[in-house]
Amino acid sequence: MAQLSYREAVAAAIAQEMRRDPNVLFLGEDVAVAGGVFKATVGLLEEFGPLRVRDTPISEQAILGAAMGAAMTGLKPIAEIMFSDFFAVCWDTVVNEIAKARYMSNGQHECPLVIRSANGGGARFGAQHSQSIENWAMAVPGIKVVAPSNAADVKGLLAASIQDPDPVLFFEQKSMYGTKCAVPEGDYVIPLGQANISREGSDVTVVALAAMVPKALKAAKILQEKHGVSCEVIDPRCLVPLDTKSILESVSKTGRLVTVEENPRLCGWGAEIASIVGEECFWNLDSPITRITTPHIPLASVDVLEDLMIPSVDRIVSVVSEMD
Amino acid sequence: MNVLMPQLGETVSEGTIAVWHIKVGDTVTKDDPLLDVETDKAAIEVPAPEAGVISAINVAEGDTVDVGVVLVVIDVEGEKSTAADTETANPAAAPAQVPTPVAALISSPASTLATGAVAKSGAMLSPAVRKLVSRHNLDVSAIAGTGKKGRVTRQDVLAIINGGTARTDAAPAQTAVTGRSTPVPVPTPIGSDARSLIPFDRIRKLTADHMVMSKATSPHVLQAVEVDYTGVDAVRKSHGPGWKADKGYSLTYLPFIAKAIVLGLREFPKINSSIVGEALQLHPLINLGIAVDLNFEGLVVPVVRDCANKSVGQIAEGIKALSIKARSKSLSPDDFAGGTYTISNSGPFGTLMTAPVINQPQVAIMSTDGIRKRPVVIESESGDSIAIRPVGILAQSFDHRAFDGAYSAAFMNRVRNILEQQDWASEL
Repeated sequence: MAQLSYREAVAAAIAQEMRRDPNVLFLGEDVAVAGGVFKATVGLLEEFGPLRVRDTPISEQAILGAAMGAAMTGLKPIAEIMFSDFFAVCWDTVVNEIAKARYMSNGQHECPLVIRSANGGGARFGAQHSQSIENWAMAVPGIKVVAPSNAADVKGLLAASIQDPDPVLFFEQKSMYGTKCAVPEGDYVIPLGQANISREGSDVTVVALAAMVPKALKAAKILQEKHGVSCEVIDPRCLVPLDTKSILESVSKTGRLVTVEENPRLCGWGAEIASIVGEECFWNLDSPITRITTPHIPLASVDVLEDLMIPSVDRIVSVVSEMD
Repeated sequence: MNVLMPQLGETVSEGTIAVWHIKVGDTVTKDDPLLDVETDKAAIEVPAPEAGVISAINVAEGDTVDVGVVLVVIDVEGEKSTAADTETANPAAAPAQVPTPVAALISSPASTLATGAVAKSGAMLSPAVRKLVSRHNLDVSAIAGTGKKGRVTRQDVLAIINGGTARTDAAPAQTAVTGRSTPVPVPTPIGSDARSLIPFDRIRKLTADHMVMSKATSPHVLQAVEVDYTGVDAVRKSHGPGWKADKGYSLTYLPFIAKAIVLGLREFPKINSSIVGEALQLHPLINLGIAVDLNFEGLVVPVVRDCANKSVGQIAEGIKALSIKARSKSLSPDDFAGGTYTISNSGPFGTLMTAPVINQPQVAIMSTDGIRKRPVVIESESGDSIAIRPVGILAQSFDHRAFDGAYSAAFMNRVRNILEQQDWASEL
């Protein structure tokens, strides 16, 4: 298997699906000639040409309106919203139109599209370009929400998202674009809604997403070595559909749940998982469910403050080791 | 002292004596169980409020009496037992004595009934610990907590449960497992013997999930017909040896049955279909899935494609090729794809009849079971006679959403007629 970076895996997945299906096309700001501001789509214009790989004006509403129209009339568009923060100007199209097209037309209109976006903090981009908004998306019925934690998952999950018959919001963690791992060659698809048990353990279940997964894994190693605590790290990979079975089975085994999320505290995705586990798994809990989150304040851009706010390896070790 | 029928809840006015644990003359100590009382809401054990000797039992097992009635009289040492005590022990006189004994009884059963999940004061117990101590009837105050601030953790309780079963013979009194009046055996926790636990492999998990999904999706109906295989048998006898010499394997009943099913499906296309939303999707091709057992290590269903116009021999060749690939684990995803109807063949094991589970998203599945010689009544104008014939049962489970019993029955009847009447020599 080749070592690919997270950003290379994005291009690899799009190319894989564009080769497979001539209806797949790709549009967004600076995605074609420039290859994306994060260089995640380099080479696509050269291979597939300007008809299928298109630069757009700086208008997120226009990008998603065009993508929705294309999807409803038979194409399979992939749209890029450069920073996920910009979804704030897109919600009418996403929430009221894209998410509801199939439902309100009684299945007569499908809306098979993928909206990719660079999400999350850690890159010193400040409060307007660093938010983790996967929980906003999770709150809207009718869209699927994917947030991969490594290059292999980027390839497999993005391919699955493009093949999906319904709208998928695909959140790439922007601080991870340079991270590499072994990525299967050839056609590679990971079904949506299957969590990955990134590390097996017996004392506490740590559910982490995207950039929090490698941090949780590092913390788990330290917790095992220094504190004798065995962590099971679960990466849900998708928030919708959510693999509750894997999470509940794990918590039933360990009796403890910690969620590690980049979302600000209130209504982060960890709250939903805590709620599900509290309802379904109450009698197997041996400790209060604990959430590790970013505090409920806009993210700082200065490095030391941003690092303090986003959950760190040290914070995970400290919280888990002090659990009841 | 008199022990009265307790008030077991605000709206309960009477109770039934379920069982007496004592008889007249028994010596009891405080809190020994005297009897069990049942109401419409609960069953409860009534303990002795004081130590003493049972001097009278006034109510028989099975009797229902009002709250406050004297049930039993205990001679308590130091308390003068008078004849009057016994004599006044009747319903009419009882209410006057209600206050003290009833109060005593109400508090007593409450402590007896305490599940053990009630912690020593101040100690916090997690839901998992509460569930375990309740289920295993443990006295949590006797468990040493190893958690933060001495909290009893799930691990602590599990250690007691596992250790407790091992130590019951040696030191029953010292274990933390405290018996109620009827000792609750501590079940061996699941997984305590890892050697007898067989984890599901991938194929087992997939099969398990599929079976549950299929049963949850489709209302299964089973129909079976008895088939006389005389005609098939004749061709197997006449052509079988040559077939085996030529091909290297036996000519079994299965390809004949498969061919008859294919001919039947051509006449009954709704059986060769899938349900899509609220519609029945008829399949233009007949692709027969053949369930193949992998030496008890799993089940796979490779597909013989496009059987509509295949001969018995061609179907036999197709089945043989797939089963060789299946057992050498070299089936490709293409070999599994596109099945429209499935045959499950338990026949080689001599089964009488099998109710198969539908292979989703198909709507029907046939089980072919053992074929053996049986006496069969042959009717003719010149009189009935009994003949020895090879007979077997074909059983089909179908999805009642897709069509009704009459349609399936007509198909089954057709398949049987084909098997019994077809000129099989020319079909080979």
